[in-house]
Amino acid sequence: MGLEEKLPNGILLASVEKLVNWTRKSSMWPAQFGLACCAMEMMATGATPYDLARFGMERFAATPRQADVMVVAGRVTNKMAPVLRQVYDQMSDPKWVISMGVCASSGGMFNNYAIVQGVDHVVPVDIYLPGCPPRPEMLLDAILKLHAKIMDEPLGPARARDKLESGKTTPMIPSSVKYAKDPDKLAGPRDPNGASGGIPLVEGGKR
Amino acid sequence: MGVLDPLKGFGITFATMFRKVATEQYPEDYRPTEQRYHGRHQLNRHPDGLEKCVGCELCAWACPADAIFVEGGDNTEEQRYSPGERYGADYQINYLRCIGCGLCIEACPTRSLTMTNFYELANDDRQNLIYTKEQLMAPLLPGMEQPPHPMRLGEDEQDYYVNGPELARKAQEEAP
Amino acid sequence: MTTVEETTQTPVPEGHVRLTIDGREVIAPKGELIIRTAEREGIEIPRFCDHPLLDPAAACRQCLVEVEMNGRAMPKPQPACAITISDGMVVHTQHGSEVARKAQEGVMELLLINHPLDCPICDKGGECPLQNQALRHGRAESRFRDQKRTFTKPIEVSKQVLLDRERCVLCQRCTRFSAEIAGDPFIELLERGAHQQIGTAKTADAEGWGAVTPQGQPYQSYFSGNAIQICPVGALTSAAYRFRSRPFDLVSAPSVCEHCSSGCAERTDFRRGKVMRKLAGEDPEVNEEWICDKGRFAFRYVTADDRITRPLVRENGKLREASWTEALRIAADRLAEARDNGGVGVLPGGRLTVEDAYAYAKFARISLHTNDIDFRARPHSAEELDFLTTNVLGTTPEDGVTFTGLERANTVLCVALEPEEEAPAVFLRLRKAARKAGTKVVHIGQFSTPAVDKTFGTLLACIPGEETNAVLGLREHAADVYAQLGEGGVILLGERAAEVPGLLSTVAGLARETGAQLAWIPRRAGERGALEAGALPTLLPGGRRVDDTEARAEVAAAWGLEALPELAGKDASAILTAAANGKLHGLVLGGVDPDDLPNPELAREALARAEFVVSLELRRTAVTEYADVVLPVAAAVEKSGTYLNWEGRPRPFDIAIENTGILSDCRVLDTLAVEMDTDLFTQTPQAALADLDRLGTVEPPVAQPGWTIEFEGEGPPKSPLRHGKARLATWHRLLDNGSLQDNEPHLAQTARETVVKLSTATAQGIGVGAGDPVVVSTHQGRIELPAEIADLPDGVVWLPANSGPSTVRASLGVGHGDLVDVRAGGGE
Repeated sequence: MGLEEKLPNGILLASVEKLVNWTRKSSMWPAQFGLACCAMEMMATGATPYDLARFGMERFAATPRQADVMVVAGRVTNKMAPVLRQVYDQMSDPKWVISMGVCASSGGMFNNYAIVQGVDHVVPVDIYLPGCPPRPEMLLDAILKLHAKIMDEPLGPARARDKLESGKTTPMIPSSVKYAKDPDKLAGPRDPNGASGGIPLVEGGKR
Repeated sequence: MGVLDPLKGFGITFATMFRKVATEQYPEDYRPTEQRYHGRHQLNRHPDGLEKCVGCELCAWACPADAIFVEGGDNTEEQRYSPGERYGADYQINYLRCIGCGLCIEACPTRSLTMTNFYELANDDRQNLIYTKEQLMAPLLPGMEQPPHPMRLGEDEQDYYVNGPELARKAQEEAP
Repeated sequence: MTTVEETTQTPVPEGHVRLTIDGREVIAPKGELIIRTAEREGIEIPRFCDHPLLDPAAACRQCLVEVEMNGRAMPKPQPACAITISDGMVVHTQHGSEVARKAQEGVMELLLINHPLDCPICDKGGECPLQNQALRHGRAESRFRDQKRTFTKPIEVSKQVLLDRERCVLCQRCTRFSAEIAGDPFIELLERGAHQQIGTAKTADAEGWGAVTPQGQPYQSYFSGNAIQICPVGALTSAAYRFRSRPFDLVSAPSVCEHCSSGCAERTDFRRGKVMRKLAGEDPEVNEEWICDKGRFAFRYVTADDRITRPLVRENGKLREASWTEALRIAADRLAEARDNGGVGVLPGGRLTVEDAYAYAKFARISLHTNDIDFRARPHSAEELDFLTTNVLGTTPEDGVTFTGLERANTVLCVALEPEEEAPAVFLRLRKAARKAGTKVVHIGQFSTPAVDKTFGTLLACIPGEETNAVLGLREHAADVYAQLGEGGVILLGERAAEVPGLLSTVAGLARETGAQLAWIPRRAGERGALEAGALPTLLPGGRRVDDTEARAEVAAAWGLEALPELAGKDASAILTAAANGKLHGLVLGGVDPDDLPNPELAREALARAEFVVSLELRRTAVTEYADVVLPVAAAVEKSGTYLNWEGRPRPFDIAIENTGILSDCRVLDTLAVEMDTDLFTQTPQAALADLDRLGTVEPPVAQPGWTIEFEGEGPPKSPLRHGKARLATWHRLLDNGSLQDNEPHLAQTARETVVKLSTATAQGIGVGAGDPVVVSTHQGRIELPAEIADLPDGVVWLPANSGPSTVRASLGVGHGDLVDVRAGGGE
């Protein structure tokens, strides 16, 4: 933004960073980019039962300049790729991308001439969301994981260097575990590997 | 139209705040999926902890998205991972390709590969979404032992694939 | 109606018969088997034991059909694979006859009774004839409810071949292949009735039937891999490939074997950029459907740990990785410097494709201004150079000896050639010729090798180094062989003929005298191609001689140059001597191992002394230890190209594994040449070949009496064992220490035992018996190996050239025909 880049690194800034990140994550307006079946699930997520408004995201914008996060939902054809890039370029900073579904993430089962084999060939992706299509809970999970990432985002180059040097990454904890009122209740039929889905909750996020 | 009418509207909003919510409260309130929901995979074990996977690659063959990679290996008497001769030495599922169709489950001749209901897979690193064998293996339940180890249930693979459950039950009954 | 039929009936040609298959009238050559006739007509009859190159056995009974002869049906269904067609025969296959269909279903059900349901873990699953035919011709359900037969599995038939007996359907393809084609009959049917099974004497020992079958003798064959490939079920599997991948996962590419000069067709199966296995391809003109175990199993050298993938540059005595730009610039600058100061020699090695060899030849002439290039990284002589120019250059399958020509020859004389060890495909043809056509095979060698026995051959034993005298004495002492050579005989010469003075010209003289055809069979795949591509000091590409002014001008014009270097170059030994003396300042080497060269010490000295050495290599070798710049090149599976096999037959192959980013020799040299401000136009193998084709070939020079060096002089000295001296016979074995066989533990274990061979009298002379250690030594070193008694001439010892501890050139510094010290070993 300019100002924070000139500020010295310090305790105050760490708190400011948290505040800034909190404001950023609390009302991310999605630029919907529904391309195929995943768009149905994205719409379902945006509709009443899942109540995306809880995360300040109820305004699905077709106006990229007013959007913060692009949800690429569905397979991206080579013909669509430049459009996708243009929409991304038109979004104002800071901006994020969720690659929703396997087709957007890697081409999925469409390993052919027409489909971009992963939307990260075109735009930088922050969260990959597998599934064909992912259910609304999965999209919510991806959004919440993105929130966690945004909360850890450094403010300014000095902080960014610190973060890089410390090697810390945001742990990708399943949202139902992270926000559970009673995590023990979650084990059992859902996943025999335990509440976390078999993923050890290690700091640093690397398994 | 009374003077207080506009406030009535606020009243409804205010009152609703104390009502039971009708929407999904996903992250705080997890609702189980249907039992046969196609979540992430799991490689199962025999009752003594040996792997059921024989590395036959039929799952990889069945996969329409080419998301599975398997490489077989030789069991030896010293290094035994599964009953019989062959085991899956390397097993990877790329969840960025997997469409959860479950054809792999149908193809599996030993019921080694099944699907759990776990779905919160989103990640910020593509590499992490290629699940390796260690991640896919089922956890060790009581009575199981981490392979490699010799066959505990019986002499040959018949005791595992045909008589396995029965033998396991017997062993449990005999145990104090 | 009948009259109409009679008039439209086509007449049956001579040697043919008319028969009916499934109501279709067929005219086919007499003596053909029903199953082949049907197949040609597009009627598929299921089969397991039938193989077009093996004698019929009718063992599996899967091909049962109904046959009517002379209007009368045969009482029972007959095996189509064993009954020859005859005039008026009526055949009903499973497509038209309920009886045949039921019979086949019944046979299939019986075959499956003891067959385990382990298709998921069986290597054959997915490409299994039993699987396919059970689905197509079998019953949906088995009525068999009892326990299936089980065996301990798998058992080792050899270190390379594993046998799962319960999968076997006893078709006997493997035993017939071993007995008929390869002639290694140590795999047989054992036991009787329900216990019948395939096994070897060793497995019989393991099962405790020592009393019933003879003890010992494991199955040892250079062709065992073929038994695995023709097994119609998963009973025989390869130890190296077992459980490595499944057929539906593999990508197949046709390829050509890079190991010997036969150029066998192969199929390379790979997965994830790694070759998983190689199979024999089908080429009736060359290898039929067989390849040797080396061609089949030796491919992991490509993925060895010491493979070089980035250019290396020497800095402060150590090789470090560098960019292509940097490495090429250094190489180009320093080579130009060396060229201008003293000259650069080029040793491309004998394993190149025609395209790569051409690039080397052109690079030497254009960029290095020299004729100092020699592909012969092995003992060689000026006489050989002359022989190659006059007798080998320009021969093609049309006018020279061919594989199929061997079958038609009435006599084949092998001189200084051990076909089974040096060119296995030639050996198989010789055996086939001897078995089927009664070709007489005569070997001039030192002892009765397995190849002599298996080609039903005659051995004319001689002292090593005196093959010349043996050839000269043919007329007198083997008049019958001499006479037969004139009536459609063939003479085959091996690469070690170059080590015997006078042999090549004498044999050429013999061929001229008798009118026998002559062929030279080198051991390495690229030698014949390098000869045609002009990678020799006296030859330009296309068979043009350096000393021919017109030819030189022609090549210079085609290459867009003023002139080519006029002086004939130095051969490999002379290049190395000059480099060791400091007269040559630079060396460019392809795949060359110093220990293969006539004088390894000299070679090392030359490499150390030369101011600048460029090595184009796959892996770190003895040469890269001395090289100043190492440029990585592609292995055979990573490039396209053409081998020229010993017949002179082009064996083109395409890239099997694409996008490895590794360049073939011709591309590397082209880029290097561009850095030196010259143009080779060999950016791709296709471009190189097109350039060579544009140049064209000239008529090969006719051997004129004045050209050939006639053998003169008193001949090598005769010296039987005296004062502990013996004459050394030595040649390379198929499976040895060769670097292309690295990383193949299973294959290495099937190599023949490393022993020193000597005659009974010689053994007694030094006081050793069979199995006792014997020391063979020279002033340079010693080799100690157990003794094996063989029918060698007295005073001769034989050592494998490069097997296990027996590294003759490197340790002893001598070669075939030289004198060595022999004594009993053991106590030092």
